[in-house]
Amino acid sequence: MSNAPYDPLAAWQKFVQDWELEINAWSGKFTESEQFSAIMGQATKMMLVAQRTVTDQLENVLQSLNLPTKAQVEGLSDRLDAIEDSIAQLRIALDKLAQDGPVPAGKPEPSRTRKPAGKAD
Amino acid sequence: MAAEPSPLDSDAIAQRVELEIERALKRNIKGLDLLIADREPVGTMPKTVIHREGTAVLYRYEPVLDEIYRVPLLIVSPPSNKGYIFDLAAGQSFVEFMLNRGYDVYNLDWNPPRRGEAGLGLADYVDRFLPDSFAAIQEITQETEVSLAGYCMGGTLATIYTALHPAAVRNLIAFATPIDFTHMKLFQAWADKRYFDVDLLVRELGVIPADVMLGAFDLSRPANRTAGRMTLWNNMWNDDYVKSYRMFDRWAAETLPVPGEYFREIITRLMWDNALAKNALEVGGRMVDLSGIACPLLNIVAQHDHIVSHEATQPLMHLTGSKDRHEIVSKGGHVSLVAGPAAVRRLWPHIDEWLGVRST
Repeated sequence: MSNAPYDPLAAWQKFVQDWELEINAWSGKFTESEQFSAIMGQATKMMLVAQRTVTDQLENVLQSLNLPTKAQVEGLSDRLDAIEDSIAQLRIALDKLAQDGPVPAGKPEPSRTRKPAGKAD
Repeated sequence: MAAEPSPLDSDAIAQRVELEIERALKRNIKGLDLLIADREPVGTMPKTVIHREGTAVLYRYEPVLDEIYRVPLLIVSPPSNKGYIFDLAAGQSFVEFMLNRGYDVYNLDWNPPRRGEAGLGLADYVDRFLPDSFAAIQEITQETEVSLAGYCMGGTLATIYTALHPAAVRNLIAFATPIDFTHMKLFQAWADKRYFDVDLLVRELGVIPADVMLGAFDLSRPANRTAGRMTLWNNMWNDDYVKSYRMFDRWAAETLPVPGEYFREIITRLMWDNALAKNALEVGGRMVDLSGIACPLLNIVAQHDHIVSHEATQPLMHLTGSKDRHEIVSKGGHVSLVAGPAAVRRLWPHIDEWLGVRST
């Protein structure tokens, strides 16, 4: 018989670990079955159908409430993306101009002459 | 020799009770803090965007030493995940470690693809984003060679690029990189050719939401999330544990959507046809022949990776043409491989040792 004092926290942690292993092992077996593949394939299709139905209906509701539809929000998003791209390009160009100027901005480039202390394995 | 404590040692029991009461109090206080806390900050090393093209964004991390290795290091993030997994926090950042060891570190990272980018495929990643990144790095460094590192599908992209552009890559480091997709058991079952209508999915969604892939990950380990939270509660008194948990949790929650065409090619060409491992993958009109990879290669695999098994990475060790191939099997799982405690203590120093002599 062990002399170690009973540690309820350690016992709880062991329970959690064992439970996790058991569930994951069961899931591992299930995911290897053809049944799992069939269910997943069907579930994906159902998800797409449901999504399409909700989107179509929601689009009509939003239009009747005079609220922006998904298509309109996507159009807005595209324009924002284009603006974001332009700002990013401008920032990169400005950084490069500053670096190439007569007095380079920021720290000077380090020399690329470092040698390793050890030898190749 | 010290006497073994008796199970009924009253002092030991009293001490234990005291400790547990203290921890319970801390748990309650910190548990409330956790509920109202902002997202855990990540990405501590200063960096600059040096190139950006839609979903692709190339960062340069500010070198910290005055003398660095000649060959720059480019880390390719998986298109479905943010690159800050390599730069979580001070002391837990691969980038910080490599900067301190004298490397010039770049990261090709990804923003969520936009609707207009749903048509991006493997060729866009390998023949556009990667070459453009190399060109941007060359402009800064004047170096024509780059060491390329990739994690998960980022490693697969890096491998394909290296096979197609061998002269540009000085070294290849592959972290948990799937090549033989017949060993990606979960994804094979999930995307079973007999039942999975990838064309319908891509047609309907365009850009594939992160939830589609996160669902598959959760199915592979359904108890992990709940068990993780239970363990978090136990360790709520421990600030380091909570911080680390929250950083990894944030990273997992910020899984990115991917372009539909890229997703379709992964499923049909890699998953169903296993074309990369068969040297039968065509990208941008050229065949990807793994034997064309002749540079030094470091294959890094996690011992308990339930996503990318050791077998899935093995073509790197058998089919590539490199004469200088090494493999490290590191403790941990798919994510802790790159940022977990074993990585910090053992893996990163090994990588530095391997890469340093090959970076001059």
